[in-house]
Amino acid sequence: MSHAPTALHGNHACALGAIAAGCRFFAGYPITPSSEVAEHMSRELPHVDGTFIQMEDEIASLAACIGASLGGVKTMTATSGPGFSLMQENLGYAAMTETPCVIINVMRGGPSTGMPTRPAQGDIMQARWGTHGDHPVIVVAPASVQEVYTQTIRAFNLAEEFRTPVIVLYDEIVAHLMETVSLPAKGKAEVKDRKWATGAEVGFMPYAETDDLVPVMSRPGDGHRVHVTGLTHTPDGFPTQKPELADRALRRLVDKIELNRDRIDEVEEIETADADILVVAVGIVARAARRAVEMLRAEGVKAGLLRPVTLWPFPEAQVRNAAERASVIVVPEMNTGQLSLEIERLAGRGKRIRTIHRIDGEPIGPDEIAQTIREA
Amino acid sequence: MIRTEIRLAGSGGQGLILGMHILFRALGLEGKHAAQSQSYEPTSRGGFCYSDVIVTGNAADYPLVTHLDMMAGLSQTGVDRSIGLVKPGGLVIVDERLVPEPPKSGVRLLTLPIMARAVEVGSPRIANIIALGALVGLSGLCTRHSLEEAVRRETPKKFADLNLTAVAEGFALASAGTGLAHGDGAARPPHVVRADA
Repeated sequence: MSHAPTALHGNHACALGAIAAGCRFFAGYPITPSSEVAEHMSRELPHVDGTFIQMEDEIASLAACIGASLGGVKTMTATSGPGFSLMQENLGYAAMTETPCVIINVMRGGPSTGMPTRPAQGDIMQARWGTHGDHPVIVVAPASVQEVYTQTIRAFNLAEEFRTPVIVLYDEIVAHLMETVSLPAKGKAEVKDRKWATGAEVGFMPYAETDDLVPVMSRPGDGHRVHVTGLTHTPDGFPTQKPELADRALRRLVDKIELNRDRIDEVEEIETADADILVVAVGIVARAARRAVEMLRAEGVKAGLLRPVTLWPFPEAQVRNAAERASVIVVPEMNTGQLSLEIERLAGRGKRIRTIHRIDGEPIGPDEIAQTIREA
Repeated sequence: MIRTEIRLAGSGGQGLILGMHILFRALGLEGKHAAQSQSYEPTSRGGFCYSDVIVTGNAADYPLVTHLDMMAGLSQTGVDRSIGLVKPGGLVIVDERLVPEPPKSGVRLLTLPIMARAVEVGSPRIANIIALGALVGLSGLCTRHSLEEAVRRETPKKFADLNLTAVAEGFALASAGTGLAHGDGAARPPHVVRADA
């Protein structure tokens, strides 16, 4: 199943994961620290008859991806910081038109151009709520180079399965970290493809309500009707402002994610079964937290780690569960408090929650987390 | 495998990331788990820059440095901003000219004419590889053979001879600096001899 181990940095692993998942179109505008994703896609895509376009900006980049996806191919763009901000409008358009696409957002210090070469986790909330309106979105947050590869593949699968934009969210450290990874043999990665419309063309509804709430897509040119609009629309694709129809359309959009959580949620739990002190962390900070938990366990402290791998929708049930058993929850993150807002929402504000926030462009290390746990 | 943390620190444009990438590859050739990371500023020349390698027995281990076992410094800023991470008694190699004010205590310090040798044998641009050769020669992180093989694989062909000369220079400096480093650098625990601590 696995090739011999290969040494890759995170952005390279991302590009290889995308190719393995069937991505055949990349449109992007290079920006540190995500540029190597574009670089490697530009090298890989010609070998698989794919298309690489360097666009004039990030707005056009995601627009091109949406167009290509509606044209029938799996698409991806990659960006960071200001570029992710520019993509927000089209992110909402992809959510509303239920167009599968994958957006890589490598987090760097912000706001604005901020610190281009330094890591941050300041986009956790933007990834969920950056575009306007109540919208569905899936965000996965890999913590290692190996996981960038596997989660990029999974992002494509989720995008196709649920007809939604999926964001792969990691930071500058994971992007440029070089680690040894095992890649599946060519063609052996688990790949899911979108459901295409079959059967009668007459009466076909492009946004019909199916059992799992995900409409099938019309393959371009095969005769099934296509209707793409960012306006609130009924199953036939035509705009509506009738309250009951608008409500039904938007609830389906949100529910197709919420009601399919068993296929979307993913968390990693380390020593949480008897954890008295629970650490909740994502990305590279979770790697530090894992080490801190190991250090504390060696000292006899019952510490555990819960790491959301699917960050959005937030793993509410899993966090509530682990939080109920713990007396203290520690939330380290490279921002002024985003993940901790979710934890407070689920576990209740108060003395139970200890947070660590760094916004100086430096990672949070194991010692810092361990010290907070000891003092908890 | 005991976790070992190594840094090459200096300023942008010195090839620090390439240097540690070569070490990472050399360790990989020996089947050792390693992770390589770096920090740089948005300027292509100058500014504080470093690259780190950690060697560990556990692939899931924290991939960034926490307490450095050894470091080579090619700029004053690089050393000043990294020295706080070096373990007490850790090995610190500095260039005699680029680091005019080396750390005064707490580490095992070795001041070497890295840049002078680089210029003499061909180019200031190979100071990174000489520093790397000295680090490996002193510490036995990997064999000289693995390091040379990694240099061949990771550097442009037309510079292979120059870079291999740099490895030899680094080992020679290590040897002269301690009288203990061996050409094969094999299976030698991290150690240094001249204790300026």
